[in-house]
Amino acid sequence: MKMLVVFEKMGAHRFLGHLDLQRAMQRALRRSGLPVTYSQGFNPHLQLSFAAPLSVGIQGEREIMEVPLSRQISEADFLSKLNKTLPQNMKAKAAVLLEDKLAPAMARMGAATYVLRPDAHFEQLAAAVPGFLLQERIPFMKRGKAGMREEDLRPLIYNLMVKDDTLVTVLATSSKGTARADQLFLSLCAFAGIQQPRCLITRTALLDERFAPLEGA
Amino acid sequence: MDKQMRSRLEALLETVQKPSRYTGGEVNEIKKDWAGRTSFCFAFPDTYEVAMSHLGLKVLYESINAQDDLLCERVMMPWVDMMAGLMEQGIPLYSLESRKALSDFDMVGFTLQYEMSYTNILKMMELGGIALNNKDRDEGAPFVVAGGPCAFNPEPLSPFIDAFLLGDGENATNEMLRVIAAGRKAGKKRADILRDLAQVEGVYLPDLYEAAYHEDGRLAAFRPLDQTAPLPITKRIERNLDEAPFPTSIPVPYTQAVHDRIVLEIMRGCTRGCRFCQAGMLYRPVRERSPEQLFALAEQLVAATGYEEMSLSSLSTGDYSQLLELIRGLNQRFADQRVSLSLPSLRIDNQLQEALGETAEVKKSGLTLAPEAGTQRLRDVINKGVTEEDLLRTVSEAFASGWSSVKLYFMIGLPYETDEDLLGIADLARKVVAAYYAVPKGQRARGLKVVVSASTFVPKPMTPFQWAAQDTLEEIRRKQSLLRSALNIKGVTFNWHDPETSFLEACFARGDRRLARVLYRAYELGCLLDGWNEHFKFDAWMQAFADTGMDPAFYANRERAREELMPWDLADIGVSKNYLWRENERARKAEVTPDCRHGCEGCGLTRFEGVCT
Ligand code: SF4
Repeated sequence: MKMLVVFEKMGAHRFLGHLDLQRAMQRALRRSGLPVTYSQGFNPHLQLSFAAPLSVGIQGEREIMEVPLSRQISEADFLSKLNKTLPQNMKAKAAVLLEDKLAPAMARMGAATYVLRPDAHFEQLAAAVPGFLLQERIPFMKRGKAGMREEDLRPLIYNLMVKDDTLVTVLATSSKGTARADQLFLSLCAFAGIQQPRCLITRTALLDERFAPLEGA
Repeated sequence: MDKQMRSRLEALLETVQKPSRYTGGEVNEIKKDWAGRTSFCFAFPDTYEVAMSHLGLKVLYESINAQDDLLCERVMMPWVDMMAGLMEQGIPLYSLESRKALSDFDMVGFTLQYEMSYTNILKMMELGGIALNNKDRDEGAPFVVAGGPCAFNPEPLSPFIDAFLLGDGENATNEMLRVIAAGRKAGKKRADILRDLAQVEGVYLPDLYEAAYHEDGRLAAFRPLDQTAPLPITKRIERNLDEAPFPTSIPVPYTQAVHDRIVLEIMRGCTRGCRFCQAGMLYRPVRERSPEQLFALAEQLVAATGYEEMSLSSLSTGDYSQLLELIRGLNQRFADQRVSLSLPSLRIDNQLQEALGETAEVKKSGLTLAPEAGTQRLRDVINKGVTEEDLLRTVSEAFASGWSSVKLYFMIGLPYETDEDLLGIADLARKVVAAYYAVPKGQRARGLKVVVSASTFVPKPMTPFQWAAQDTLEEIRRKQSLLRSALNIKGVTFNWHDPETSFLEACFARGDRRLARVLYRAYELGCLLDGWNEHFKFDAWMQAFADTGMDPAFYANRERAREELMPWDLADIGVSKNYLWRENERARKAEVTPDCRHGCEGCGLTRFEGVCT
């Protein structure tokens, strides 16, 4: 069995890179004494798998990782033990026992929702949304293995709307294509003709291909 | 920090590399309420990743915070992007825990691990809102103190640091904080509190002394200006390590530290008496922690941190008297918890192999050996008690049991060194290669890799070589190129460094208080992060010497006479100057001095009460 864990990565933890996060999780699991499976060899490691790495600077409200178990344990027990050793702002919110044969969370990913909270120019940005979405193509430069190349953002934006003083968006996040929320914001600012203001971005949910929360498998 | 400044800081953190260097909030961070407590900021003049690898920081952090009346926070040298951002945004350099400016603390303590961090200290003070000069600090300013190995010759920093601590800091730091607390409570003047600090054993207050010089630049006299100021200053010694504080729970960095693991200090001091080694003289006598205590500490640390790796720290781990028992015990306790024990390159003999057990495979990645010199004669000169036979046996055994990569460390520019000794390095490398090919093909691991590293020797104060001249830059370069061609051997890689850093280290390691002017001028010229190659500006340093009318060769390349008064003679580390001279004489004759565990060699330490009896 494996345990799917929903956790937050908020506040200053948004600055942690993916490797930093992996290490922090591994150490929290080690401190917890939970029954997890280690790799063999001189430096045994916990084989954690994360659904979708989060870019540095972006917060996550419901991030997901999967932990291989060495023996069965109840979801409630797992959650409370893990929360005793996790750092603040990294609390686990849910744990779901899954069969090993279920595809890994990473393979089940389809999209993710984000909330963007800009510091300034909100009116202009909000007003620009309809026109932004009406564009047929939204080209942007992406760094790939073979240098920079142009890609189209438009088909990767499933939804973008204004809600109170925020922008809420659903972006493709899968092996077939992934849009970054900070790229979306950059393109939107360019379209609105404003200098990019500071913007706090929070990823609020990870969804499967049918837009259902990944943890609801 | 007010709300507005906090939000400016948040915005800044979004723009710098590795923001988690500046946020704190690690697991096991300790945040105490400031009300009614005396505050100490442990300041490490290098980056977060280096600082968080340093055991001393963790020892003091926990032991000070364990005191109800005291608190300890941390600050490190910001990287260039953060430095620029702080200045631009008008945010003072702040502690990780409560984000207070350095100037808000009662005492700020810098650790002096290497000379090339001195300019960082000035920068950190400036960024933290502390006046650089002792004399310019007002009544409410923090007391700026410094300790660590370089504090044994503190003179080049003397105008900037109120008080230095010489020796072990575990209990002395608490005492200093309490002297300040009591003084402030009694409404004493800063100058009087400083005088009280000078009464703490091991504390040196540079402003209470004056130095006079001969016309040729040598130190002529050094005397106290105040009757109460001690001279010499006796180093502080923790006599029993089992009673000295050691952390049981340490902050676990998010970003990877240089040494990101649990470190157990098993022993302090070393009796081998290598003549180039400053630590070996400074940290006498040898004191061991008992295995029982180490087991208990290790268990608490593993539970508190979740670290997956542990290592042992000391100057000479192979000399720990109960090493087998210790390794066996650690393996028994932690094998199921998947904590790996990483050991330095000891002789992996059968007994040790057995102690390591079947569960713990020894890392086969590399064997590191430090013969230090290329010929037996020169190894006798420096009293490095390894023979070629020992060395070749070790590598042969290693090659036979599956290693294929060996690192060999040497120094060049050692006193009494000849070109023959340098060629001896190549000779030794060739023999190591031959030892590899002596193992039959099917049996040896593939991919032989012998790395020969040669660092430039820096004569250090309080060693038998404190009188020696360092080779000039030209001479070092000549020796490097000689070695480069001699080491053109298949399977051997030669590593060396530009000698400029070692040259400056030699200046500051044996500098007097006049060098403070050079330091300050270099700082004005923008020298910072000098320990980082990409930031090291040798030309600016040379200009600083020129601008202040000081000659670096006087400090680095001059041989001193036996009777010369040294700037660091102000400190009594227990080891006597007579002993050091005797060792220097023996070095000249290439005579070996045995390890004093087998019989006291009379280094002078027995003058200290309860030590080496
Ligand atoms: S006093 Fe004697 S035994 Fe002790 S460290 Fe010195 S030489 Fe060695």
